[in-house]
Amino acid sequence: MGVLSWFKYRSPFGMAFMFQRITGLILLFYLCLHLAYLTSLQSRDLYESLTALTVSKQFFIFDSLLILCGVFHGLNGLRIVVHELGFAHEKRKAVLVISVALTILGWILGSYILYTALGD
Amino acid sequence: MKILIRRFDEKSYWQSFEVPVKRGMTVLDALFYIRENIDPTFAFRASCRMGICGSCAVKINGKPRLACETQISKFKEIKVEPLDNFRVIRDLVTEFEGFFVKHKKVKPYLIAEADYENPVEQLQTPQELKRYYIFSLCIKCGACVSVCPASATLEGYLGPAALVAAYRFNADSRDKGKEERLKIASESIGVWRCHSAMECSEVCPKQIEPAKAVQLLRRASLR
Repeated sequence: MGVLSWFKYRSPFGMAFMFQRITGLILLFYLCLHLAYLTSLQSRDLYESLTALTVSKQFFIFDSLLILCGVFHGLNGLRIVVHELGFAHEKRKAVLVISVALTILGWILGSYILYTALGD
Repeated sequence: MKILIRRFDEKSYWQSFEVPVKRGMTVLDALFYIRENIDPTFAFRASCRMGICGSCAVKINGKPRLACETQISKFKEIKVEPLDNFRVIRDLVTEFEGFFVKHKKVKPYLIAEADYENPVEQLQTPQELKRYYIFSLCIKCGACVSVCPASATLEGYLGPAALVAAYRFNADSRDKGKEERLKIASESIGVWRCHSAMECSEVCPKQIEPAKAVQLLRRASLR
């Protein structure tokens, strides 16, 4: 079945596994895009005009989704680290609920801070 | 009740059967009804009918379960498929040879210095027994391997069932083969291939936490 097997699971753990891979790929793609974009800006004027366009409230939704990807990937990664150290296997449902709750909290908080920092 | 079965005879196809439901009837009873009353060519594997042999593990409504332990009344409609990550031989019968080759590879037996001329009782405290007891309940049904993403992407991966067997004997205070088993389990096709998806622990019909055994083996192999 190969890589397609990532997408066949329906349990909460299978979903977490799937989203860990998807968010990882999104973050990798964003990193490449981000570095390529910044490298292509050779003059100060061009840099300032294009960052003024992307660092704006019009692009906020994309930034917010990026925060969600980053927070989920990081916190779910920590959850996996806890289990990989051999701890809390019997309590894995509670650990997953905590990591998802913290993800939502981190996403809302991060998005709020970014939104207020963007100004008008 | 309508039972939809994914059959396989050179090619895969779905076939629907109407089965009369009785109180207490299991999915395995329904499979036997189909074979005995509707289609004698329908193939599936079963033996003990009481959740001990692990032969009747199939995918029921998308989740691997023992057909003999799944009550038909739990569902409105039933879809039965062969286990994933195993080659299908016919209908619901899958190839288990590779599964048992991997199982044997981890030396799933007690390696001890026994003098058979003058046998001595090998004593064990209840605490020592508790360390591995849960893992000794594995019935080798293959449900864990069928949902394992590492097994799906790498055919050679030992898989959760074999690694559970390795941990079960490594955690046994009477065993002297820990180093041999750890060497096998920590090869490139061993514990380090696990992606910690935890699906194996979710579907295990005996709730033996195969994911935990894999992680404990990892920890042991680092020492």
